[in-house]
Amino acid sequence: MEANQERLFRLPFKLPSSATARSLGVYISGGLYAIGAWCFLDAALYSRKANASSVHVTFIDWIPFICSTLGMIIVNSIEKNRLIQDALGSGSFSGSSSMAWQARVILFLGFALLAGGISGSIVVLILKFLVKDFTSYPTLGMGVNNVVGNFCVVLSCVLLWIAQNVEDEYSYSLTL
Amino acid sequence: MGLKVSPLTRIISLSGFLALGFLLVILSCALFHNYYPLFDILIFLIAPIPNALFSKRNFDSSEFMNESSKNVEDVGHFFTGLLVTSGLALPTVFYHCQIINHYSCIMSTIGGIIIYLSIVVFSWFFNSGWDEEDDALFGY
Repeated sequence: MEANQERLFRLPFKLPSSATARSLGVYISGGLYAIGAWCFLDAALYSRKANASSVHVTFIDWIPFICSTLGMIIVNSIEKNRLIQDALGSGSFSGSSSMAWQARVILFLGFALLAGGISGSIVVLILKFLVKDFTSYPTLGMGVNNVVGNFCVVLSCVLLWIAQNVEDEYSYSLTL
Repeated sequence: MGLKVSPLTRIISLSGFLALGFLLVILSCALFHNYYPLFDILIFLIAPIPNALFSKRNFDSSEFMNESSKNVEDVGHFFTGLLVTSGLALPTVFYHCQIINHYSCIMSTIGGIIIYLSIVVFSWFFNSGWDEEDDALFGY
């Protein structure tokens, strides 16, 4: 075996390389999105199948989740090199500024949809459950699941963004 | 891998393993006359598809380490993670909504994990000569 290799730790354990970290981050991000979606579907199914109270999940509850999903699609379909090129070459002649403007506007729209989704779910929780005194748990759980689901979707979007922007030294040294 | 197993033994044992998974899921449906856990089989059967479609060897080597091919690979990873997690979450959610009882929940979860693991191990056994450093944890 390779006994004489330099290692960071005394045990045979090494930190994951950046490509591994990237793919692992993307896997975890997909898992978080599924957890968010299933949290929300849990609320909807619970309202349909096992609900004992008078409040039900209607289309109002679906709107925040649809908003945050649309926001996640928009944010992650932006080509990130546009933004980076613009940050490097702002003020000089390099890079087309109209393209960067479009990227920035669409990115703003995506983040606004994400934030709107999470705040809309909190609004639904307050207006539909807390104000009307549905504060015992199995009923309140439908509102709380909605908030948790939207929060997981936002977290998955952030993790996907970070994982895709991890600077990996191998391709960096190839491009330079 | 240290041990040498002939490919025929591998195929037979894996197929037995896969049949055990199907048996558990179908038993969890049929014992309680409630056929909702069959969706779990469906999810775990389509879970290896995104990594198989979007893996990096499906693109020619002219765009080696290109940014776009990497993004395409990320799509496959994202959907694999999504499908595997939703396959695990589906029996739990059904149990919480009182659609299935807890025996059925446990049996369909274990059966789904066995089905997915046998598919992953199958592709890992017979593709291991192609590239070794690829992620063997989640299949191709």
